[in-house]
Amino acid sequence: MNNHQKGAKASYIALIAFILIWMSGGNTLHRFTKETFAEFQAPALQLVSKGSDLSRYWELKSRSNEELISASRDLARINAALELRLHSMDDIRRENARLRENARYTSNSEYLTVVARVISRDTSSWWQKILIRKGRNDGIRPGSPVIFSDKIIGRVSVVHLNVSEVDLITSPAFRCTAFLVGDDKRRIVYVKGDAANSLSPSRAKITAIPLDYNPPLGQPIKVMTTGLGGVFPSGLILGEVDGSIRMSNDDNYKVADLRPAKSLDMIEEVSVLVPQYPTASEILLAPSEKIKLEEFK
Amino acid sequence: MSIPWTWFFLILATYPWLFVADLLSSTLATSGLNYFITGATLIAPCRRLKRWQAVLFAGGVGFMFEAYRPIPDGTVAISLITLAIILGNYRTYLRTTLATMQAAVVVNALAAIIWFSAAAYTSAAQTDIYNCIYQAAIQATLSGIMGLIVIIPLSTTQNWVMDSIGVPSAHDLL
Repeated sequence: MNNHQKGAKASYIALIAFILIWMSGGNTLHRFTKETFAEFQAPALQLVSKGSDLSRYWELKSRSNEELISASRDLARINAALELRLHSMDDIRRENARLRENARYTSNSEYLTVVARVISRDTSSWWQKILIRKGRNDGIRPGSPVIFSDKIIGRVSVVHLNVSEVDLITSPAFRCTAFLVGDDKRRIVYVKGDAANSLSPSRAKITAIPLDYNPPLGQPIKVMTTGLGGVFPSGLILGEVDGSIRMSNDDNYKVADLRPAKSLDMIEEVSVLVPQYPTASEILLAPSEKIKLEEFK
Repeated sequence: MSIPWTWFFLILATYPWLFVADLLSSTLATSGLNYFITGATLIAPCRRLKRWQAVLFAGGVGFMFEAYRPIPDGTVAISLITLAIILGNYRTYLRTTLATMQAAVVVNALAAIIWFSAAAYTSAAQTDIYNCIYQAAIQATLSGIMGLIVIIPLSTTQNWVMDSIGVPSAHDLL
């Protein structure tokens, strides 16, 4: 046996040894490796995203004064209308707080909003993700809802130091309860992402639609979050029913396709709703001494 | 005489290629396809680097690919390491440009199938096996074509880095 053959044999033995070490290394080794290589790539991702922002800035700067004046005039009008709405909201908020106090009902569904730029989209048949330019350093936590205006985009799945991964609403990992607008009985349906076929657009599915549900004729059926489960606030738009509502394979309920409310392939900025208090899943998964239950009181 | 950190410099030189492929995949988001070139990056290093350096290079590239993707930890990295060992052991077959191109197509398509199957295994999506094979075939075909397209410029870049560092040429090793 010559040196080359000996070397070849040794390399296969080393490979088997490495696979055994890797398999017995446990989660800590896997997580450390994943984090190291993710952080190694993070500066390049940040640089490209900031470069894209800079080019957008120079593009905007090249616009004429007339354009800017007309845009600011439009904004001033919108601001005035929104201020009026905000005043009416103040009254409602005060009334709400008073009623909660009377009923001794403390809510834990309050969120901090963190605005984040989208770095890149990473999609395949088996996942639909975006990377955003905010991470652990900005207070992002796994499981936080991601929205644009009042439309659901997805949910934070993995958080790195300065970058986070978001599972889009069309990702098979996404699940959420919802109401169909127009259903007077407000029955709960189930929304989940669906595996997209290559060369066709990604989609989500609505299941568990009651058999006696009759869609309103001539208008799009909006799908809204219920607020149940404690992840997504209620009343946010998931999308619209796409196409017809049909029977499920086992004839127990109806199903339909969901068209996301926001075009997920074009989105450039999102808002992450970070819960102000630990969520139920965080309490269950975290070591008990780290959770201050007093915060709920 | 090559230095021990050649594999790392080679990763740094190869990373822009992988990064650009990821950014281009971002523009393909609507189709659900990826410009996968990770497998093709192994060919030139495996022709010239020592076995252990080629293995470290393959592991680095594999773990970088996995870092932001929901697939079982180490699947792509270990597959690429295995492919790097096999390529290193049969480097005498990679003498001609034609053989290099053939290797790029086969290795890239094979690595794409492994990655795609690993992703399907992790995914919560419910689909039948025929659809799964069909999707994998489309992705593997695209990956094979990508391997063919990028191998010449990619290996030129990698060879230039290896020449600069002083790695012996492929013919010197035979």
